[in-house]
Amino acid sequence: MTTSAEPRVARRRSIRRSGAAVARPGFAWAAPATLFFLLFAVVPLVLVAVLSFTNWDGLGSPQYAGLDNWKALIHDHVMIQSLWLSVLITVLGVVVQTPLSILLGVWAAGKPRNRAILSAIYFIPLLLSATAISILWRALLDPNFGVPSQAKWLFGDGNLFGHQTSAIGVLVFVGAWQYTPFHTLIYQGATRAIPPVLYQAAEIDGAGRIRQFFSITLPQLRTTMITSMILMVVGGLTTFDTVLILTQGGPGTDTTISAYYMYQQAFKSFDFGGGSAIALVLVVIATIISLIVVKVSGYDKMRSSTEGL
Amino acid sequence: MKKRWLPRAVAGSVVLTLGLTLAACGGSSSGSSSSGSFKVLVYGDASNKVEKQIIDTFNKTSKVKAVLQTIPGADYQQKLQTIINTKQAPDVFFNWGGGSIAPFVKAGLLLPLDDMVAKDPGLKSNFLPSVFNSAVVDGKAYGVPMRGTQPVLLFNNKKVLSDAGLTEPKTWDDLLNAVKVLKAKHITPIALGGGDQWPTLMWYEYMYDRIAGPGLFEKAMGGDKSAWDSADSRAALAKLKELIDAGAFGSNYDSVKYTDGGSVALVAQGKAGFELMGSWYYSQQQQDNPDFAKAGLGYSSFPTVSGGKGDATDIVGNTNNFYSVLKKTKYPDAVAQFLKLQYSDEFVKAQMAIGNLPTTTNTVNFLSTAAIPDYSKFQYDLVKAAPSFQLSWDQAYPQTASEAMHTAVQQFFDGKLDADGFIKAMQALPTS
Repeated sequence: MTTSAEPRVARRRSIRRSGAAVARPGFAWAAPATLFFLLFAVVPLVLVAVLSFTNWDGLGSPQYAGLDNWKALIHDHVMIQSLWLSVLITVLGVVVQTPLSILLGVWAAGKPRNRAILSAIYFIPLLLSATAISILWRALLDPNFGVPSQAKWLFGDGNLFGHQTSAIGVLVFVGAWQYTPFHTLIYQGATRAIPPVLYQAAEIDGAGRIRQFFSITLPQLRTTMITSMILMVVGGLTTFDTVLILTQGGPGTDTTISAYYMYQQAFKSFDFGGGSAIALVLVVIATIISLIVVKVSGYDKMRSSTEGL
Repeated sequence: MKKRWLPRAVAGSVVLTLGLTLAACGGSSSGSSSSGSFKVLVYGDASNKVEKQIIDTFNKTSKVKAVLQTIPGADYQQKLQTIINTKQAPDVFFNWGGGSIAPFVKAGLLLPLDDMVAKDPGLKSNFLPSVFNSAVVDGKAYGVPMRGTQPVLLFNNKKVLSDAGLTEPKTWDDLLNAVKVLKAKHITPIALGGGDQWPTLMWYEYMYDRIAGPGLFEKAMGGDKSAWDSADSRAALAKLKELIDAGAFGSNYDSVKYTDGGSVALVAQGKAGFELMGSWYYSQQQQDNPDFAKAGLGYSSFPTVSGGKGDATDIVGNTNNFYSVLKKTKYPDAVAQFLKLQYSDEFVKAQMAIGNLPTTTNTVNFLSTAAIPDYSKFQYDLVKAAPSFQLSWDQAYPQTASEAMHTAVQQFFDGKLDADGFIKAMQALPTS
């Protein structure tokens, strides 16, 4: 065994060399992503910030306007209301979709084949565009020719888009109809990943189905719930297409959520300065919310749910 | 150099950032300049078949081809203003004259048509002067009339009215009575596409005209905002309130739209008695419900209101639509040839066949060949006799005002704003 020393030396050398390269990758590795981010996120953001201090109708050159847009925004009750509406629609979305998708997901994770077929069918709404879905529901909920005209005991005069509560209800319902399948899919996958030994042990201990669900399935889905809720919050805050097509922010300004209000100011009233100011407010708020979510959920130092197994 | 670069960069970035949440708009047809074609952008609706026909006629003889592009109604103005200063801009585009093109003129984007008119005086002399002049901005002509004049009329379902023993309302009291009778029969008296908001606005336009005369709105547009707070203004609002409270529009009008055919179907199927709409309503019904358009669709002018200052023959609506030309078009000569077709006999006949009423001087010769000669004749006489033809408020005001105006209009109908609130909202609108 005279050769035994040589490879060891060689290996140590190669480890040192490759180790150094892995620990501190050069800037070149990050360049494409950084460039992309700068070009499509930072540069537009800076320009929008500049634009929020100007008056511009999209035709000529922007005119410097100082703090006018910001002063107007602070006193704009529609803006403040729109922030609350965004939060409300987001919270309602999470509250409605989470239980539904957990139950459906856990059910769909079961073995019987019919469940696989049914979950494939449930998945269909997600494949449709939000625009198509909104147009579909607008037609289905028409007060004179849609479902409400046939079910007066439930819908009354069918003026769903004429009252704030019912209009918000429609938005939340259509959002849930579209996105629940997606979250169901996430929960289905997560449920299948729960080690079966846990259930086998529980059965030996005499735990029933419901006890198993609350004591094993739910705790094991904790991290999945956080992922899914973050997606719901992001989706809720950026809701736009359903509002554009279903309610157009109406009646009056009753469903004018922030993202739609931004669009309205910029592309309908051609006040790109005011629209940019709203856009910046949205950027700040979305950043704060995502920081809070990451902090509160412990997403940054996520523990494994299979610890101790 | 710098000046040209900045707005474009800003425009691009704003669209990127603001557009993050928006679905991309399909921009498929960007004809290359070498193929020798110019783009004609038109508001998308049932009248497009005439534009198609005229463009086909033009392309038969012209080397430079015209390409028709349409944008569905509700989004027309937004898309137009977004693209007009870009490469995707059309060469020729549909508009409402006056206020709708003023910002483009100010930005120096449009071609004054005076040279074209000098070469071919027919481009001006073949149209009614009052109509041609409504696309004159700062003393220069920027538009050639196309389609037709569009007064707002009170349409009705003849069968619903006769079954209820009613006739077309001549006076405000007739209308209130019709509302009462139809309501008792569980028919929505008046169909209203409140979800679109602008159909609601038409009721204000007529009420203000009948009660205060056209002067009040002109005064307000001129910058005298106290006009909104006048006794006449309050009287007009009170009359509207009276009509709403009488249940004239039913209770779910805010969930109904004109643009998706909802209110149109209500009238055609006899579920509603009346609808107040522009004269294009006829071609819409012809497309959606051809049998009803032929036999069951009635129409009359807006009823008189006793004690009002406005002339009973005043009308409101869109004076006309126009084609305007972009300064940067590569084919001004071909465009001039194309615009000539807008007063051709073929054009007038085709417009009349779908119920539109062109404002060319030769229109009167073709009244008998119209789809419904009586309908065209009725409109023609109405427009000819009207002492005032008020342009729709949302077209007369700058675009920046239209969202706030529509919101106020809807909220007053819903009872969320009272008269004071509505007056305040109208006073807050920018007038220039």
